[in-house]
Amino acid sequence: MFFDICKTRNRTNFTDPAIIFSFSRPDRRYNIYGLNNNRVKLISSDDLNGDYQKNPWYAGFPAGILSRSFNEMHYRYSGTGDGLMILELFIISLFLFVLGTIIPLACVSQDLRVLRTASHLFTISGSLVMGLLSLFLLITGSVLTWDAYQPLPAFALSFTIDRLAAFFLLLIAIVSGCVALYAAEYIEHLDGGSRRNLLAACTNLFILSMVLVVASSNTFSFLFFWELMAGCSFLLVMYDYSRPETRKAGIFYFVMTQLSTLFVLLGIVLLYTQTGSFAMAPAGISFFTTLAFIALLLGFSIKAGIIPFHKWLPYAHPASPTPISALMSGVMLKIAVYGLIRFLLDVFSPELWWGILILLLGTVSAVLGIIYALKEYDIKAMLAYSSIENTGIIFTGIGLYVIFSSYHMPELATISLLAALFHSLNHAMFKSLLFLTSGSVVHATHTRDIEHMGGLVHRMPSTAALFFVGALAIAALPPLNGFASEVLIFISFFSSIAVADPLFKVLLFLCLGLFALTSALSAACFVKAFGSVFLALPRSKESSEAEEVPFLMLLGPAILASACILLGLFAAQLFLVTGFFVPIPDMFLVGLLLLAMVVLTYAVLYFTASRDVRVTDTWGCGNPSQQPAMEYSGHGFSEPIDIIFSTVYRTKMKNERKFFDQKNCIFAEGTAEIRLIKVFEEYLYLPVARASYLAAEGVSRIQSGCLDTYLLYVFCAVIAIIVYLGWLA
Amino acid sequence: MNLSFGLYLVLNTLAVLLIAPLFVSIIKKVKAWTQGRRGPSVFQTYFNLAKLLRKETVFSSHSSWIMRITPLVSIAAVLVAALFVPLVFVPEPVGGIGNIILLLYLLALAKFFMALAGLDAGSSFGGMGSSREMSISAIIEPTTIIVFAALVFVFKSLNIFDMFAASAAAGAPSTPTLILLAISLFIILVVETSRIPVDNPETHLELTMIHEGMILEQSGPNLALMELSAAVKLTLLMALLINLIVPFGLSTTLAAGAIVIALVLFVVKGTVLAGVIGLFESSMAKMRFFRLPSLFAMAFFFSTLIIIIEVFA
Repeated sequence: MFFDICKTRNRTNFTDPAIIFSFSRPDRRYNIYGLNNNRVKLISSDDLNGDYQKNPWYAGFPAGILSRSFNEMHYRYSGTGDGLMILELFIISLFLFVLGTIIPLACVSQDLRVLRTASHLFTISGSLVMGLLSLFLLITGSVLTWDAYQPLPAFALSFTIDRLAAFFLLLIAIVSGCVALYAAEYIEHLDGGSRRNLLAACTNLFILSMVLVVASSNTFSFLFFWELMAGCSFLLVMYDYSRPETRKAGIFYFVMTQLSTLFVLLGIVLLYTQTGSFAMAPAGISFFTTLAFIALLLGFSIKAGIIPFHKWLPYAHPASPTPISALMSGVMLKIAVYGLIRFLLDVFSPELWWGILILLLGTVSAVLGIIYALKEYDIKAMLAYSSIENTGIIFTGIGLYVIFSSYHMPELATISLLAALFHSLNHAMFKSLLFLTSGSVVHATHTRDIEHMGGLVHRMPSTAALFFVGALAIAALPPLNGFASEVLIFISFFSSIAVADPLFKVLLFLCLGLFALTSALSAACFVKAFGSVFLALPRSKESSEAEEVPFLMLLGPAILASACILLGLFAAQLFLVTGFFVPIPDMFLVGLLLLAMVVLTYAVLYFTASRDVRVTDTWGCGNPSQQPAMEYSGHGFSEPIDIIFSTVYRTKMKNERKFFDQKNCIFAEGTAEIRLIKVFEEYLYLPVARASYLAAEGVSRIQSGCLDTYLLYVFCAVIAIIVYLGWLA
Repeated sequence: MNLSFGLYLVLNTLAVLLIAPLFVSIIKKVKAWTQGRRGPSVFQTYFNLAKLLRKETVFSSHSSWIMRITPLVSIAAVLVAALFVPLVFVPEPVGGIGNIILLLYLLALAKFFMALAGLDAGSSFGGMGSSREMSISAIIEPTTIIVFAALVFVFKSLNIFDMFAASAAAGAPSTPTLILLAISLFIILVVETSRIPVDNPETHLELTMIHEGMILEQSGPNLALMELSAAVKLTLLMALLINLIVPFGLSTTLAAGAIVIALVLFVVKGTVLAGVIGLFESSMAKMRFFRLPSLFAMAFFFSTLIIIIEVFA
């Protein structure tokens, strides 16, 4: 491959609103028609304009090649030889995922370890290829187009990968590669025999469907692969179907994901009635478009876990196997975010109240998500609620983007959108890291209850260190990546002083205060999580006998942990490389300063202070031995916050006493009950479910089972059609 | 990164390390005077730190590497945070040093490690301290961010260096809202440095210690580092308040004379502020823990009021 990359990189000109949208607009197209013509020629706009007469092979190409003048990178084709085969790379990675699906299914009843390992190897290699491809597309700003299959004239399965899609593909690739590394070892410790082959196959299909959702270029293929993704994830959640809680979680998740697909379908149909095509092209402003936006927002919010549609998350994540929880929480929620961003950027012309709606939804989810997380004692449910919080933060960034772009402030709009996207990437990294390491802990201690863990930092030191990196990242502490994205959101909030409307400024400052609250509460939550799980003394027999997990189960999380650290330290540099100018502080310098201070302090102490060390018992007011029961439990740790936010938790306390005598002096017996009301379930979900059940019962009365009634229905329908057609004519 | 910035790094760190124990002693002295005592000498904190460095370190058998590295990380985070708040000389900002949000989160980093170290040894005192500290810092966070947002609003910059340069150029508070902001900053200082009415820094009774509870298991040089980091945090928050409200004497050039004058003036201003803090602490009792949210809600509404005044003015 001989090519000459000529990097004439213009700094993106922020005064032009159209340039903001160039993030997703193609500036280079490689048009391939069918799989026969599989040579990709890199064409630059200069070649098109100047060399058209000189190079006859251009004559065969259609005139659909765009040449935009505000692109950032020019490719100049020079020398002989093949062009760069990026379409081949994409097809190879898809094929690797397909192989990973087929191989365990081919011998599905044989419980052979080699089948599953081969399947996961294909996942890892597919992710590697996809990751390299998306990195290339992201940095160079090129676009890949592939019209794969057209069953009918109106419906086509075609794919376009521009920078936005490439970003999300990179996210999928990194997480699925590391999860597959982990799952290759973890799956051998699950029970289920040959059912594990299905798990491995379905995981590959799940990742494949997510990739194709992101790569879709029209709403038809988007919906097709969205439904495939939903179906696969349902099968994956129901892996352990013998337990009743898993069945309940699976059915709940299935209903919610079908509801989300229903709303997305409704939105796409409304867009079709407005524009007449399935393309992701600007749809104009009208009543139907607004309705379509509401429907799509609902659909994506349900999938992303925005409050009040979040209830399926804390059931589905603990019930599914660990690698699947990591994939769902790290990647699948981001696919919903991608859908929202794609439709907002390419299809809709957002108005101000849309932005306010998204901002409010995001803020409410962020605050309530972390407040509910603090009450959880199941570690995976806690991580699930924390995912809800982070999705709220991403929606806050998207809401700010819409608000600033409707106020015609393109710089701030770009910073907010970049913050939301960067936070999606960071959350995928540290959340999957946390899920994988907590899965290792659950595997070692055979319980998900943090009150029965403890002291694991001595028995599982590597897992503890990796979980610690994840906890530091999610608590948004410098210089890791969680802080880098949150500081961008803070900067866009602080810069909102430039917005003209004063009442609106007050709203934004209130949202800022709530955002700061969620950030601090998440630090508290993860001090509690790390402290209860790893520190102090073991609080159950299994914890005191826990063993460190095998090396393969540490390698995946280790890669994710290094990604967290590197993304944080080099955040400012990363933005510069991709061509965006954001006012983020240089975290590398801060990291260097921190390291310098540590080294200096250690050096000073080495020479001036005493170096004697003695190991003895913890001070327990003179108690000779320290018991595990003396330490602060997880519940006790979050108790002050429980009491302060008691109106949010709505705990009901009931106290009944029975006495022997009239004056209520001699106590006979009593009951005391503390009940945590599940607010959303009792006041939102169950009433809706009951109403739909009643409606279904009412409708089912027409199904009487009697053939004569059905014949009557057919007769009436035929008469009605004849009359109607008669009126028309 | 040029020479003046490098000099600033060294100068600011040395200044804050030398001055911090003095301010802690002055507060203790003022509190002792109000109680009718003579109190310890103003140099007592220095003697305490020197004594602690000579003692051996005792670790609990249940503690892990968290306990070993927390004092180092805590002092490093607080010292890097101190680089963000110029005491005597304001240089040009380099690479985001001086970003006000980064300052807040560096202090949060120190707090995170301290809270984990409290849980590490498995004692009830540490657990209680950690739990209460994380709850308090969560509830005061909205107020702190709103106050910082108001500062950004007034000074039109996210960087503390620019804020100090603007305030030094103006010479006196440029708008009346800065006085109101000073009151909010004072409340934040009391909360972040665990002073009465939020926490008693001189108690070791189980149910009344928050910050002290988390460092109860530390000993020897590690305890010296924790005490020093608390003192440096107090000094840098005092410097934030002083240099925004009464900035006269703050120098923007690297002249030796100007810096010496700025240092002496800062010590004088800091002594006055430390006296005010001591009197404030002596004038009230520590509040019951669950009455603190009401106090913080009042502070939050006060700060939001300042924002509304700024926005509509």
